[in-house]
Amino acid sequence: MADKRHRAPARSVPAPQARDKLAFLLALVPWLLEHDRVTVQDAAAHFGVSEHEIRSSVSLVAMSGVPGSTATYQHDDLFDIDWDAFESDDEIAITQHVAIDDAPRLSAREAAALIAGLQYLQALPGNADRASIRTLIEKLSRGASAAPSQLAVAGGPDSEVLGLVQRAVTEGRRVRFAYLNSRGEREERDVDPLRVESIDADWYLRGWDHLRQALRTFRFDRMSDMVVTDDPIEHDASEMHLPDTLFEPSAEDLEVTIEASPAVIGLLADYIPDGALTSQVGDRIRTTLRVSHYHGLKRLIAGMPGTVRVVAPEQARRAVAEWAAAGLARYA
Amino acid sequence: MLALLATESGLTKTEILSSVRGYAQRYVAGGDNANLERQFERDKDDIRELGVPLETIEPLGEPGDNHNLRYRIPKGAYDLPDDVRFDSDEIALLGLAAMAWREGSLSAESRRALVKLRALGIAADEPMLGYAPRLRLRDAAFEPLTQAIDRHQLVRFDYLKPGEERARTREVIPLALVQYEGRWHLAAEELATGEGKTFLLRRIVGKVTAGKPAPERPGDHMARSLAELEAVWERGVADVEVREGSDAALRLAHRRGTEEVAPGILRMHYVDLAILADELAGFGPEVLVKEPPALREAVVERLQRTVADHG
Repeated sequence: MADKRHRAPARSVPAPQARDKLAFLLALVPWLLEHDRVTVQDAAAHFGVSEHEIRSSVSLVAMSGVPGSTATYQHDDLFDIDWDAFESDDEIAITQHVAIDDAPRLSAREAAALIAGLQYLQALPGNADRASIRTLIEKLSRGASAAPSQLAVAGGPDSEVLGLVQRAVTEGRRVRFAYLNSRGEREERDVDPLRVESIDADWYLRGWDHLRQALRTFRFDRMSDMVVTDDPIEHDASEMHLPDTLFEPSAEDLEVTIEASPAVIGLLADYIPDGALTSQVGDRIRTTLRVSHYHGLKRLIAGMPGTVRVVAPEQARRAVAEWAAAGLARYA
Repeated sequence: MLALLATESGLTKTEILSSVRGYAQRYVAGGDNANLERQFERDKDDIRELGVPLETIEPLGEPGDNHNLRYRIPKGAYDLPDDVRFDSDEIALLGLAAMAWREGSLSAESRRALVKLRALGIAADEPMLGYAPRLRLRDAAFEPLTQAIDRHQLVRFDYLKPGEERARTREVIPLALVQYEGRWHLAAEELATGEGKTFLLRRIVGKVTAGKPAPERPGDHMARSLAELEAVWERGVADVEVREGSDAALRLAHRRGTEEVAPGILRMHYVDLAILADELAGFGPEVLVKEPPALREAVVERLQRTVADHG
């Protein structure tokens, strides 16, 4: 899912480094001023950066200033720190500052990114009610130097399931539900809920599946009859390593050659393994998909009519053709 | 930047280039400073993109005199207002909101916003481990469109409407980007007709070109656009027969707003007939479209296409 190649289409993203660095300095200074004396270690922990980055930033700040009335950067026009403490005790204390002492405002886009993210989270129970999200959005708007960019996200998941999962996670209990897998088999599952994940409008539960004795990902819309059981969970999120990708490749996966129009390649990115060979065939792109079985494949391909064609193997091509033909037969 | 914050009356470009460290060493008095001036322009853009309110003041009595334009950053407009403060719950929620963006420039923007807010010194109570939400940006048109909206520019792109053979070029005033039912839409005003239009980003073909400054269109375009989409969704009604116990029966029943109007018959809402037809075609024999006829035809046509492509 975290498909690096897919992020690649170089869009006009401005050079982030200089801006990120400046934003960091503008945040670091007021924070340091708020604390008379802090260790490099604490500052690094607070900002989530390396101690090296803190040290080099503090050195930079300590040599910054304004030209002053004589344009010669006199002592009073410069930042200064307690150099002894910095060099011998790894402590930071700003002894003189100029021009900035308060946190900077957000840019219109920064505020908009957070606001749209909040709208997306609105349906999550247990976090905050809608009123407090509204307050937060309103505060972000006031904290921006210009009206936040016009960006909005609607929607949210089936909150009933989400509410139950949330309760189960908080209470450390297993959930039980009927699950229809993509092969069309319906089974009762007992799961230690670990994390709720979502991609746009699709919601998933990541958890320890007692039936399979393994980590599994379940789609919300394939679950039914969920209950929170009285059984305590055996695994929790802190001991399990949850990979960043939702679907993990397995050795039993099947490889399928397809030809797709360039416009839909992005929609298939989750199924295209790293390093897949890709070539141009006419106006189509030929590449490889990795799927766990043809049941999933036929649904995927039939749901993108006219844009993707399975080339090989023969069995996969036939599975798709038969699936669509069976659908068509219902209208005969 | 510090120099610009410290000045009340503002500094001219020449003053900045000749006195501020970083420029001054390379400044040639009375000489050619073209490189330095270009650097200054870039730095100005960077500072503004960071949300730092860089002001220009025209000298009194000399409007339009670019040379003596004075630059400054008013302190009051730079500092985060005193009443914009967050508690640790809010910071945790903001962290989660930022996490939703893991692709594209908005991911960098939201991370930078969090860095700025850390200046306030509040630590989040505990990371919210229970959730990993993410918003996808798979549409190449997204970045250029957000940029054009922010910079108030007109945009031009080719748009392929379902059922049409060829994409048509559109020139619009971009107003807002909204995600509805997992898909990104552009709310815009068509330049030629002045009509409000909604475009699905995934149907934009090829490049988005930003052009001339766009006329101002104040208003909450996001709310209006979402309300319009919701109204379209409300009006779009389809009845489908689903096979009992099938994937279609379960998943379609879980869609927002779906009701079972008769045994095995689901009534569902939709915004875009072509997209719904794609989805329903994916369910193969598990679904039989009853109403409306246009949807039925669209699904049949899609299934025929898939059979033909795989025959």
